[in-house]
Amino acid sequence: MKRNVFRTVLCLAAVLILLPALLWAGGKQEKKPEQILLKMGDNLPDRTGTWGAVVEQINAEFIKEHPNVKIETESYPDQPYQQKIKLYAASGQLPDVFKYWSFSTLLKPLVDAKLVAELNVADFKDLNYLAGALESNTYDGKLWGIPVSGDLWVVYYNKRLFKQVGVTVPETSDEVLAMIPKFKAQGLIPMSTDGKDSWPLCITWDNIIGRLTSDYSIIQTALDRKMKFTDPPFVQAAKILQDMVKARLFQADLVTSDYGASRNLFGQEKAAMYLMGSWELGLVTDQNFPQGFRDNVSVFKFPLIKGGKGGRDDLVAWFGGNYVVNANSKYKDLGIEYLKFYANRFPTLIWEKQAAVPAQRVEATAKDSELAKSLLQIAADAKQSSGTPSLDRSTPAFKEDEQKFVRDLAALVLTPEQFARQLDASAETAAKQ
Amino acid sequence: MTAKHLRIRKTAGRAILYTFLILFALLQLFPLVWLFNYSLSTSGELFGPELLKLPRSFQWINYAKAWTDGRIPMYVMNSMIIVSISVVCSTLFAFFIGYACTRMVWKLRLVVFNIVMLGMIIPIHTTLLPNFVWFKVFGLLNTRVGLTIPYIAFTLSFNTLMFSGMLKGLPRSVEESAWIEGAGLGTLLFEVVAPMVTPAFATVSIMTFLTNWNEFIMANTFLASENLRTIPFSVIRFEGEYASQYAVQFACMALAALPAIVLYFVFNKWIIAGVTAGAVKG
Amino acid sequence: MRSLFSNKMAIFLLIFPGLVVMLFSIAAPVILSVYYSLTQWAGFGELTLIGFQNYHNILLADKTFWLSLFNALVLMVITIFIQNPIAFVLAAILTKVRKHSRFFRTVYFVPAIISVVVITKLWVNIFNPTYGLLNKVLKGLGLEMLTTAWLSNPHTALFAVIFIMIWYGFGWALLFYYSGLMMVPKDLEEAGIIDGASPLQLYTRVIIPYILPVIQAVLIIDVVSCLKQMEIVYLSTAGAPGDRTQFIANYLYIKAFAYSQYGYGNAIGVLFVIVAVLLTILTRRITWQSPDVE
Repeated sequence: MKRNVFRTVLCLAAVLILLPALLWAGGKQEKKPEQILLKMGDNLPDRTGTWGAVVEQINAEFIKEHPNVKIETESYPDQPYQQKIKLYAASGQLPDVFKYWSFSTLLKPLVDAKLVAELNVADFKDLNYLAGALESNTYDGKLWGIPVSGDLWVVYYNKRLFKQVGVTVPETSDEVLAMIPKFKAQGLIPMSTDGKDSWPLCITWDNIIGRLTSDYSIIQTALDRKMKFTDPPFVQAAKILQDMVKARLFQADLVTSDYGASRNLFGQEKAAMYLMGSWELGLVTDQNFPQGFRDNVSVFKFPLIKGGKGGRDDLVAWFGGNYVVNANSKYKDLGIEYLKFYANRFPTLIWEKQAAVPAQRVEATAKDSELAKSLLQIAADAKQSSGTPSLDRSTPAFKEDEQKFVRDLAALVLTPEQFARQLDASAETAAKQ
Repeated sequence: MTAKHLRIRKTAGRAILYTFLILFALLQLFPLVWLFNYSLSTSGELFGPELLKLPRSFQWINYAKAWTDGRIPMYVMNSMIIVSISVVCSTLFAFFIGYACTRMVWKLRLVVFNIVMLGMIIPIHTTLLPNFVWFKVFGLLNTRVGLTIPYIAFTLSFNTLMFSGMLKGLPRSVEESAWIEGAGLGTLLFEVVAPMVTPAFATVSIMTFLTNWNEFIMANTFLASENLRTIPFSVIRFEGEYASQYAVQFACMALAALPAIVLYFVFNKWIIAGVTAGAVKG
Repeated sequence: MRSLFSNKMAIFLLIFPGLVVMLFSIAAPVILSVYYSLTQWAGFGELTLIGFQNYHNILLADKTFWLSLFNALVLMVITIFIQNPIAFVLAAILTKVRKHSRFFRTVYFVPAIISVVVITKLWVNIFNPTYGLLNKVLKGLGLEMLTTAWLSNPHTALFAVIFIMIWYGFGWALLFYYSGLMMVPKDLEEAGIIDGASPLQLYTRVIIPYILPVIQAVLIIDVVSCLKQMEIVYLSTAGAPGDRTQFIANYLYIKAFAYSQYGYGNAIGVLFVIVAVLLTILTRRITWQSPDVE
C-alpha cells in the first residue's frame, strides 16, 4: 500500500518539476525593437495612494508626448529600495531615472563613484524652485538632482481636543509642558511622534538648537570640527529633549513607536499633538480617520524655548527627495527631459492632491484646506531656515549613530553628557573619512 | 482505589487535559482571527484600543483591492512555480545527501555532511551582494529559476539534518532484505526507505514551503520585473512613503496564508505512524 | 550489501545535485564575503583592503557586538530549556490523543504559517502601553503597578522580544518532535510497558534515547535559528532601547546596509559563522551523539 502511495507522490513531484520548468522559460522580458524602455526607481510602491498616483499620472502624460517610450518603475519601501539601488550601483545596473534622497549619506557616494549624471542648472532655473532648493543638491559647484518637496518641521494639533481640555495654542515650551497634566487627566497623550525611526527626534534636537542659539549653522561647524558636540548648546538641547520625554510629553512607548503607529495615535484622536513635517498636510483628507478629526486638525509653529535667542520664524526646513539621472544610461538626454517634465507637472499635481508641499512655489488656491494654507503661511513667514538636518550632513555611519544616540537619549539610557560625547566621537570619525 | 474511582480520575484527567489543549489552541488561533478581523476593517481601526473589534462595516473591498491592485493572482502563480520547484528539489536532494551520509559507508561521509551543515550557519544577508554579481554573470538575474537556486541552497542544510536525524535510527534489516530480493538503488531509496520516513518528507516539505513562501529579501534582490514577483510583494504595494493601507495589507497577508494553511492541512496526513520495526516485506 | 553501500557511483549521484547548488549559491559568496571582511567598502565605489582591522574593532571595541551575541545566547537558553520541553510534552500528549490529534496539530501550527510580519505586529500591539491587551488585563486584575511599556522599557524589552520569538517558533518545535515521536515503533513502547515502566520511565529510558538523533537535530536547528533571528527584532524594536534587544543577525544587516560599512558587516558575518560552528559542535558533544551508522 505504501509503495503505491509513494509512487504516486513521486509522479506528482515529477509533474510539479516539469510543469513549472516549462513555464519558467517564459520568464524573460520581451520588447519591441523601436520602443525605448525607460527604467525608473522610487520608494512609492503604492501607486493608487497620493504620491504614487501623481507619479503615475506624470508618467502617463510623458508617454503621451513621447509615444515610442515605455516606462517601467521598480518600487519598494524605503529600506529594500535603498538596498536594491546599492546592488544596482555595484553591478552597473542603475535605472535610467530614479529617486534618491539624503544627499550626503546616500546620493554623494553615487556621485563620487561617477554614477549620477550632472544636470544643467539653466534647465531648471525658471521652474520656480524655492530659495535654496537647487543649492541643496549642488556639490562641487554642480547640480546632481532635482528636489521634490519642501519640508518644514511643525506641530500639528487637534483643535477639538484642545478645546475639550481647555488649552490654547502654546507659544513657549514651558506652556507645552504645563499642558501635559491636563491632557493626561483626560487619558490623552499630549504629543506623539515617531521615536522608533529616530530621525524625527534628531530633527527636533536640531530645532531646539535653533531655538536656543538662533544659529543653525553651528551644526555644520561642529561637523567641520571647528566646534565640538560637547559644547554647551548641543548638550543643553539634548537635555531639553530628554526633559520633554521625562515630563511624559510623548507616548509611553516612544522609542518603539513607529511612523504609522504614531501617526495613527494622532489621527484616531488619542494624542492631541503630532510632531512631524509639512508633508502630512494630507491628514485632512485621510479617509481612515474620523471626520471629527479631519475637521479639527491644524498646525502651529514649533514653540520658543525660554531664554533662547531663536524666534518662532527660524524654521527647520529642508528640501527632500531627489530625482537623478543615471550617468551611464543609454537614454541620458531623455532622462533629463523627463526630469524637466516632472519638475513642470509635479508641484501642481501634488498640491491638488494636498499630499505634500513641493520644493517649487505654488499659489494658494480657494480649494486649499486651512491646514494647507497655514503651512504655506508658515513657510512664507520664515526668517531663516536650517537647511539639511544634522543627520543628513555627514556620512551614513554618522547618520546611523546620531539616530541611535538620540533614541537612547529618549529611552533615558544615555545622559545628555554621554550623548554629546558619543556623538562627538562619531563626528570625529566621520570627518576623517 | 476502586475501578470507579480510577475511571472518574481518568475522565477528570482527560477533561483537564482537553481544556488545556483547547485553551492553547485558542491562543494559537488568535493571530489568524486577528488577521482576518483587521483585514475587514479600515486601516485606522488597527491602532484602536480594542484588540479584536467588530468593524463598523465589513470592508470586503480590502480583499478586492488586494486581488487587483495587489496583483495577487499573478504573484501567487509565480510563488507557486518558484516555491514548488524549490520544495521538490530541496526535499529530494536533502533525502539523497542524508541517505548517503548516514546509511552509506565511505571515507568522506562526515566531511561532506559537515560541509552541508555549514550552509545552515551562513547568514543570508552576507550572500546577497556577491550572489547578485555572480548570478548576473550566469544570466540568472530576474528569472524564476534564478531565484529557486538560493531557495534550494538555503533550505538544504536544515532538510538534510532533519532527514539524517530520522534515517539514523532505522534498522538495517529492511534494507538488507530488499537488497537480497535484488533491489537497485532507486527501488531501495524510493520504495523501501522513503516510506519509512514519510514524516520526515512531510516535515521537510512543509518547512521548505513555508520558508520560501513568505521569503522577501532574496526575492527582492534577485527579481526586478513586475511580472516575476512573488506573493510577499503584494503587501508592499500598499505601503506608502508615510501612510500605508494597513487593512489591505492584512487582506493580502490573509490571502497569502490561505494556500499555506490548505497545504499544511493536506500534508499533515503524511505524518503517520509509519515505522513498524522488523516489518519484513514479502 | 557492502558493494551497494560503498558504491562510489551511487554515492556521487546522491550527493552531487545538492552539493552543486550549495557550492554555487553559498560557497562562492562566502569566499567573497571573507574577502570583503578584510576591506573597508560601502558596497560599491572605492574599496580598500585593511587586513584584520575590522575584526580587531569588533572584538575589542564593539560593545554592541558582544551584547547582541549575549542576547542570542539568552534566547538560546530559553528556547532549549523552556520552549523545547513544553513543545515536547505537548507533542507527546498529541501522540496519545489519537482522535483529534490532526485538528490540534494543525491549529497549533497556525502561527508558524502566518508571515512573521503579522505575528510581530500582533504582539507589538498587545504589548502597547496605551491600548495593548496586556496592560489592560493587568489593570483589570488590579495589577496596575506591573504595567509598563514592555518593548521600550530597558528592563523588560529583551524578554518581550524573546517571548515573541519563542511563541513564533513553537509550532515548528512541536512539528519536529511530533514527527520524531511518530517514528517510535509501537512494539518498543509496548515492551517497555510490559516490563513495568512508569510513563516517566518509558519516556526517559526508552523513547527519548530512541529519538535522540531527532532531538539533536532540533537542538542544532534551534541554536542556529536563535543566532539568525532578524525579522522580529527589525520589525518590533530595531534593537532599542540602547541595544538591549539587538540580535547579532540584525546588527550584521544594519552595519552592512544602513551604515554602509559593508566590510565591517561581513566581518561580523564571519565571526557569526565561527560562533555558530563552535556552538553546534558543543551541542553535538552534549547530546552524546556520534554520527555513526549502527
